Amino acid sequence: MHVSPEDVRRLCEFLYRRTGMLFAEDKRYYIDRRLHERIAATGTQSFQAYFALLRSGLDSEVEHLVNAFTINETYFFREDHQLRCMTSDLLGAVIRTKRPGDPIRIWSVPCSTGEEPYSIAIWLMENFPDVDNYQIEIVGSDIDTRALAAAADGVYGARALMKLSPALIARYFESVSADAHRIDAGLRDSIQFTEVNLIDARAMAQHGRFDIIFCRNVLIYFDDASRRAAAENLFDCLHPGGFICLGHSETMSRISSLFRVCRYPDAIVYQRPEAERDHD
Amino acid sequence: MPLVRRDIAKPAAAPAGADEAVARGALRSADPDMRWNAARALGADPASVAALATALETEPVARVREAIMTALMRIGNQESVKALLPYLREQDAAKRGAAIEALQALPDATAPFLSALLHDADSDVRILAVELVRGMPAAEATRLLCDILEHEPHPNVCASAVDALAEVGTRDALPALEACARRFADTPFLPFAISIAVAQISDAKG
Repeated sequence: MHVSPEDVRRLCEFLYRRTGMLFAEDKRYYIDRRLHERIAATGTQSFQAYFALLRSGLDSEVEHLVNAFTINETYFFREDHQLRCMTSDLLGAVIRTKRPGDPIRIWSVPCSTGEEPYSIAIWLMENFPDVDNYQIEIVGSDIDTRALAAAADGVYGARALMKLSPALIARYFESVSADAHRIDAGLRDSIQFTEVNLIDARAMAQHGRFDIIFCRNVLIYFDDASRRAAAENLFDCLHPGGFICLGHSETMSRISSLFRVCRYPDAIVYQRPEAERDHD
Repeated sequence: MPLVRRDIAKPAAAPAGADEAVARGALRSADPDMRWNAARALGADPASVAALATALETEPVARVREAIMTALMRIGNQESVKALLPYLREQDAAKRGAAIEALQALPDATAPFLSALLHDADSDVRILAVELVRGMPAAEATRLLCDILEHEPHPNVCASAVDALAEVGTRDALPALEACARRFADTPFLPFAISIAVAQISDAKG
């Protein structure tokens, strides 16, 4: 089936407008493969017919397409220096503004198939001495509904668990087959998974404000305008004084001037200033 | 288990256009948070460019100004560019820098305005226009920057063009660079900068 460069451009423009994700011509092979998969899955037989279906909003095809284009490869305790930073420094700063029993809200966005929010939960249980003194709420959100379903299911292969010690696996997982483990039911039930698009201000705001946000390795897929929109939405979802952790190759300073850079021994993170100037 | 779970409601859908109309009004609110939310709500609405441009003119809060510029970037059409261009003449460096950043993100929408900017009466504006050319595809950037080297009377504007060519220029720029070095032989820093740019372009692969 022939798909012209103009067809690819229209599809990429559509995806960009809906999600902020930018796919350039140099990703042509990646785009073609997923596009052909969706054309086959929908039985539309041509790009024109498929694009018409997509634009009609029928059969949740936009959601299926977004799911096909997102990347969900991750593992437990990935970039664990940031988890260490959370318990060594960030939570100390957060609880200075709280009383015992207050909520502490942590957001993993995008959370992919759940490895990150469950990692946060396990890390807190193991390394945060005050874990019983606060109501800790962890939310995992993603644009990919298929990934969210997998996150809620909580079943992982050996590759996802490669950084966890046998003791941690024994404590927080049950074996469901020779190569698969399921996360403990208590942890599964304590994390809320929601669908969200980082550039959708209304959907982001619906989640309320958080004390710490993990937003790792996603802004690199956005163009400048979408990156800034996402940064503003994330800023809005932080309590004043709250922190955001980005992926190791990402820097907020090049995206937005809204945040303060905080250099801790284990990680560089970004903070919503506690007091904001209303005028220059 | 010290972890708690609370349900998060899905956002209610609003009638098409209702949100934008309310947000355009909120851009004039006395409350900076209302203006901030309004600007962020208008980033997908081309009909709001005029309201955003008006708000940008008087907005005193940096955070809200940034959100307005982001909304204009997201709309990204030529009207957005027209709203941003006056800030190239802004005395406040932060505002000028923010406008440049926003325009650099919109190369296609900015392209029709480049010729006028590169021939602006104000040499500072011409220097900023060079920064916009820097982000264009190499062949087109080389063509525009070489044109500057051939005709531009101000050595600082030429120096900016030389700097940009060193980064993005192709070998097609070499004759114009050498001619510019001869034209500004009495301004020693420029032939020196050009010799570095020539070496960089000559050493570049491809």
